Amino acid sequence: MSTEKSDYMLLFRGTNWDKELSPEQLQQVVANWYAWFERLKQEGRCSGGHPLQGEGKLVSGKKGRTVADGPFAESKEAIGGYFYLHVEDEAEAVAIAQQCPGLDYGCVVEVRPVADMCGARSRGIELTGRDAVVAGVS
Amino acid sequence: MNPTKTDYLLLFRSDNWYDELPVEELRGVIEQNKAWFERLLAQGQAKAAQGLVRQGATVSQKRGSVTDGPFVESKEAIGGFLLLAADSFEEAMDVARSFPSLRYGTVVEVRPVAQECPSWVRLRELTEGPLASATV
Repeated sequence: MSTEKSDYMLLFRGTNWDKELSPEQLQQVVANWYAWFERLKQEGRCSGGHPLQGEGKLVSGKKGRTVADGPFAESKEAIGGYFYLHVEDEAEAVAIAQQCPGLDYGCVVEVRPVADMCGARSRGIELTGRDAVVAGVS
Repeated sequence: MNPTKTDYLLLFRSDNWYDELPVEELRGVIEQNKAWFERLLAQGQAKAAQGLVRQGATVSQKRGSVTDGPFVESKEAIGGFLLLAADSFEEAMDVARSFPSLRYGTVVEVRPVAQECPSWVRLRELTEGPLASATV
């Protein structure tokens, strides 16, 4: 590889933006979405992704004793799926996000850089000058 | 690969809880998280996991509208994810409950991965009618 690639995650927000579409519109947007995903994979810019089912649970509190029905946010903001990208920089990731076929219908795409290591571990190194974790969990 | 397993996406939501911790406590929880993750890897449950930087951009409605930063306020922002292969939803929930950083306020969202895009399922129902979809 000539240049360093970075990993980004696209989070697709909104689980009901498609509910008002006609069957023709829905067919078009779903077909475009699949074609977009396949093209990004062929170009080596996307290594995977999944749609998520609409339901889920939220686990929190000591020993995870608190369980609530999910997903986390109301349906307009809930995460409906994701792509995992390998790109040059954030501008390229944003440009890909701007091609999302759901944007015209209200889907929102969150673009997030993947961390080399988790925030806690990164702060540990800052504080102590050495890494608590030798082999890579990130 | 066990074909009976289903994928679940665990989304970790929290603020920067680690900013307030003393070094020794921080080191302890990092080691616990590492051991937790390595056990899941060794058991073949974890398929992928990454932390996310608390920056980025959000692209919305009208094409070209880009704003800086994660979508929601920092307390609820997604700080990382884990793709898990589990035999059941309950098994995925057990993994979520065992996450060491829960005691610092992290919320773990457990979401089943869809075998088929839900929009596609809805389209089939619309175009094939209830009789056809009932036979699936």
